[in-house]
Amino acid sequence: MKPDRPQVEADLLQFVQARGPRYASVTPDTDLLDSGLLDSLLLTDLILHIEGQHGIEFDSHHVSPGNFRTVSAIADLVLGQFPPRPPA
Amino acid sequence: MKWPLHDRALPDRKLPLYNRFYLHAPRASHVDPVMVWGTEIDADALTSFLRERNRGGHVLLTTAHALIRATAVALAQFPDMNVRVVGRRVFAFRQVNIRMGFVHRGSREIDLLVVRDADAKSLEQIGLEVWQRLLQASRGTGPRDRDRARLRRIPGFWFRQVLRIYGFVDRHLRLPTLGRLDELRGGGVMVNDLSFPGAPPMRSYKATRFPDQADSLNLTLGPIESKVVARAEQFVSIGVMPLFLRADHRLVDAYQVGRFLAVLRDLLSHPERLDLPACTDALAAANT
Repeated sequence: MKPDRPQVEADLLQFVQARGPRYASVTPDTDLLDSGLLDSLLLTDLILHIEGQHGIEFDSHHVSPGNFRTVSAIADLVLGQFPPRPPA
Repeated sequence: MKWPLHDRALPDRKLPLYNRFYLHAPRASHVDPVMVWGTEIDADALTSFLRERNRGGHVLLTTAHALIRATAVALAQFPDMNVRVVGRRVFAFRQVNIRMGFVHRGSREIDLLVVRDADAKSLEQIGLEVWQRLLQASRGTGPRDRDRARLRRIPGFWFRQVLRIYGFVDRHLRLPTLGRLDELRGGGVMVNDLSFPGAPPMRSYKATRFPDQADSLNLTLGPIESKVVARAEQFVSIGVMPLFLRADHRLVDAYQVGRFLAVLRDLLSHPERLDLPACTDALAAANT
């Protein structure tokens, strides 16, 4: 089932902020690339976390700057892996 | 089955005399052929290049990818450094294959990957290949991860015997690479990107040599630091990254190491030269 956006974003934000003091002030729109916060370890951990939480699988083609620039963009990527909800 | 080395060893007459002194030194002389040369690169240029490429690119690029590409391009310019020792002879590698150390998130330890023909691949191709391996490793699902799991189960005593026998054969014979575990021997250069966020300043670094004779050169990139330098008669603050090269005097001398590092440093400080079509011209410019 497609998760809610606020729920996905909050979960990702919590995961990133728990990384350490340097990450405590990260917001959904913080540029993780320009700020130098996103390294290969955080990225692979994030992907593993998402895969574990949502049962989806990413490949290397998903590792683009657009998909991982902000927490908000990562949430978009996650939600884009689910089929759209049928109209009520 | 692949043969990473050329069929014939380099003839003795082509080897510099002092390299041969190290190559043929008796074990009793306790000679140490390891050389380390440290330098710095312009981190501002590299980071702004990566930032720009990451604005619209389809693969997330990092300093590690740039280091692999730059090393491969520089090595293609210095084929006499793309070699290894077998017995007391020197063999050239057929391809420019670069190995890289990375943190294996699945088993929480260091692992190595190999990028084959790295001089013929674009930054994006290298990036895709590296991310694919990193993701496989973090899940523990790659074929190499299964091989590693099998190796891990071998008891210590037998592990040591296997390494001793394999190491002896590898040191003395020109072997093919047979599978995924020994594919590392297909590359003579290892790169190490230790510029991760939070890494302490790096003043010196001597990478250990991996216990196979193929590990001829090691390049390690450290974290960014600010430094005040004089430019156009003004003091300015710039970002620099330390770069250390560990080499083997049986294969190269300090002059070669210096020239190789100069080209590599130039490529990383002018990373636009890492793009495939521009590489030849840029290297020609760097060498003049």
